[in-house]
Amino acid sequence: MSYRSGSHEGSDGRGGRVVPVGVTPDGDPVLAARLTVPTVPETFVRRERLVEQLAEGAGRPLTLVNGPAGAGKTLLVADRVAACEPGTVAWLTVESQDSAPGVFWSYVLHALRHHGIAVPEYIRGPARPGEVDHSLLARLAAWLNGRDSRVILVLDEFDRVAGSTAVADELQFVLRHAGDGLRLVIISRTEPLLPLHRYRAAGELVDIRADDLAFRAEETAALVDLHGLPLSAEAARTLTERTEGWAAGLRLCALAAQRAADPESFLNDFEAGHSTVADFLLGEVLRAHPAETQDLLLRTSILEKTHPDLANALTGRDDAEPVLETLQRTNAFVEPLGHSWYRLHSLFAEILRVHLRVRHPGLEPELHRTAAEWLSRAGLLDEALRHAADAGDWELAAAELVGHLAIGRLLTGLAAERLDGLFAQMAPEASGPAPDLVRAARELAHHDVDRGVTYLRRAEENLPERGTDDAAAVRLSCAVLRVLAARVVGSADLAETAARDAADAEQDLPADRLERSPELTALMLTDLGSAQLWAGRFDAARATLSAAVEAAQGLPTAFPRHEALGRLALIDYLHGRPGQAEAHARDAVAEAERSGLPVSYRTGMAQLVLAAVAVDRYDLTAAEEHLDLAAATSAAARDPLVAVELAILRSRMLVARGDSRAALPALDDMTRQPLVSAEPSPWVSDRIAMATAAAHLADGDPKAAVKVFEEQPLHSPESRAAEARARLAAGDGERALRILDGLPEPHDQGPAVDVWLLLTRAQVVEATTGDSPAAEGLLLRALAAARPHQLRRPFLEAGPWLGRLLRRRPALAREHTWLTGALAPRPAPAPRREEPARPLTEPLSARELDVLERLAQLMSTEEIAADLHLSVNTVKTHLKSIYRKLAASRRGEAVRRARELGLL
Amino acid sequence: MRYEIRVDGEMSDELATAFPELKTSVVPTQTVLYGPVDDEAHLYGLLVRFQSLGLRVAEFRRIPD
Repeated sequence: MSYRSGSHEGSDGRGGRVVPVGVTPDGDPVLAARLTVPTVPETFVRRERLVEQLAEGAGRPLTLVNGPAGAGKTLLVADRVAACEPGTVAWLTVESQDSAPGVFWSYVLHALRHHGIAVPEYIRGPARPGEVDHSLLARLAAWLNGRDSRVILVLDEFDRVAGSTAVADELQFVLRHAGDGLRLVIISRTEPLLPLHRYRAAGELVDIRADDLAFRAEETAALVDLHGLPLSAEAARTLTERTEGWAAGLRLCALAAQRAADPESFLNDFEAGHSTVADFLLGEVLRAHPAETQDLLLRTSILEKTHPDLANALTGRDDAEPVLETLQRTNAFVEPLGHSWYRLHSLFAEILRVHLRVRHPGLEPELHRTAAEWLSRAGLLDEALRHAADAGDWELAAAELVGHLAIGRLLTGLAAERLDGLFAQMAPEASGPAPDLVRAARELAHHDVDRGVTYLRRAEENLPERGTDDAAAVRLSCAVLRVLAARVVGSADLAETAARDAADAEQDLPADRLERSPELTALMLTDLGSAQLWAGRFDAARATLSAAVEAAQGLPTAFPRHEALGRLALIDYLHGRPGQAEAHARDAVAEAERSGLPVSYRTGMAQLVLAAVAVDRYDLTAAEEHLDLAAATSAAARDPLVAVELAILRSRMLVARGDSRAALPALDDMTRQPLVSAEPSPWVSDRIAMATAAAHLADGDPKAAVKVFEEQPLHSPESRAAEARARLAAGDGERALRILDGLPEPHDQGPAVDVWLLLTRAQVVEATTGDSPAAEGLLLRALAAARPHQLRRPFLEAGPWLGRLLRRRPALAREHTWLTGALAPRPAPAPRREEPARPLTEPLSARELDVLERLAQLMSTEEIAADLHLSVNTVKTHLKSIYRKLAASRRGEAVRRARELGLL
Repeated sequence: MRYEIRVDGEMSDELATAFPELKTSVVPTQTVLYGPVDDEAHLYGLLVRFQSLGLRVAEFRRIPD
């Protein structure tokens, strides 16, 4: 079997980042074996009746091959697939880890690409293991539907994910929406959780079950004949009865008979016996092989896939290569996977493991440990970890994870949940820095900082001396986790110290080893930059976060990059640079989109910055949309910066809508609420104070505004200007002027800050000295600075003096229509905001959503009924219920309301 | 909960070790396994174990404690 790998390299051709497609998102190089169509042995009997059934399946969306282990399901389909044109069939052997939908779909995409089906880059892939963005599935289905040729997707051993309703639902969705573009073949020991009755009723399912798979007497004769043992019709019938036509039983039987001194009497004896078929026959076949072969088979039964070198490590001999080759040649047990890897039939492996435990009690954990060490040396970390866990050797497992610099994979990327689940079983007795680092990473990933820090301290106390690569890996992992912990407690000093230790440890590590774990550096830089930002070290934060963005591209670093870009956007915004802020925020959103980060996992910061810029432009509709998206992220509750900016922006929105009184309570909450961090941020509380003062001022209570500044003296130019406005409004123009005169010449300020400063000065000058020409000059400069970014808010909230000034200078008003257009119909104070889309009091059922979706596609009631296999009356009932829940009276209205609510 | 499970064929002693929590007795053409089953997860786990070892379950019933 050759690997068609040449076709899926390169970029998407649209300037997007290149995700290396040859490696799985969590870097599992044994993957190829799972995508390979199993080879059909020479002794395979092609049975025309089943071939016909499969051919019939080509005309229906779903083919189900259901039967017990060893019924011949896989080979039946593999034989047919071999006859198909390349580029029309994709094969995926499912594994239990795939019950996480993100992992499952990433392997499906892999399988498609691996088999020469050029899935376009825009479909992207999942970035989180536990979840897959629904839009990804919709894009995939639409693309499959739109192609000229159809794809057959074979999912072998689907029973391994049989418990996952999410995967079943998603498969069902894709199958439905891919139309004629997709044919699904599911091979499974158990029935999948798809609505089979519906497919059956609609004639859309071909069912091949145990009874179909069972060998008939003449087929048994053909099979045994292929093994060089002619069989009478009567003998074939008895054998078929004895094995109930079970393929594995028949195959073993033929193999055992081949090796027996007298095949005929062997068959007679077997037919007359009553032992369990597989166990007995396997024992017979094993006995016919030399002791070395038996030993190799028993020891390698603990592996899913074996390699001659790995088998040698387990047997302590060096004959694995010829033994495996012989076994393959004689069609006994093993199947080649290419690249010297072999797979043992899972049924035989299970039985062999039972025998291993009986013959060598206590050997199993030792074998697992040896396998873990070999796999680790071969760079196959995932497999190595699994065996270390099976050996119960958690110190080894933790050491492997840390040694491969993979501790960051507990915190980000597709493998996070799986690794977390694996190490959740870690024995409490496991001691040493590596197990403690793993425990710390898990606690930090679960946002339990106190416990995380406790483990981290214990790890620090036992750090190994410098000198070896492994020691450096432990030190680096520890430092990276310390940066994360420092970020959470809000200490830039601690973060910077830890980052220096990390850089120090990196010096001791070879570059290629570091390059294999790009997420470690990206995480560390993002956390460091966030801590610096919290502490108000803006220049340092900007440099660090930019470096995080520059760190290696690709899925493993997608989340840190998304987060770093969002925080860069905030820094730009805080410095009054709306253009750059917007660009960074859009990059952050694009990064999340590109790598398929579900909305709930995003940081929300980018959407907040976009909302803030929109508010400054007085585009309140856009601002509202961005705010909703920001609030939908989980970070809104955890990230103090997001929480604060969200409160400030909401207050600004209320002020802009004339409801300044409602703006105050939320801000009050913010001031009282102790923020998560232990160390306060010097600038975050300033921003809350400024927003509070602004709300008081808008509310016509300048005294309360002044009081805010008296209680909490602020120093940034922006806040000094805010205080000047409050003082002026409170009637103390002289004080306002002094404050402004005391400000240093602005430098390194972005246009947004400049506009506020100029405008405030103009207002104060006009009010205190009545010097209109000077005020006009300042106003002109403010307008010029605001115009490129359409910053309307400072002018709209400047008060009535601006209107007076503009009326005196109509030329000015004409020149700045971008502003005066918005200025003219000044909203009356305290208008109620227009009725917002009320949330649903009663959610729509899945079925109603199905109907709604089709309604939006302008399908008629009859068409919907046909498409969903429902009666017209049932659809009408659903429609009524949809109208009621959405408070709509017509189709158009229902669809519009559903769109407003984000249901479509 | 106690269960009695009958599988087709006479199981070898070695294969019976795959079910250490159950007692085994071989009757003509069948093997009877019986003993306590902790909960539903254990029950389904047993079924999977039978299946993965190529054993055919003929009967599966709950017996009084």
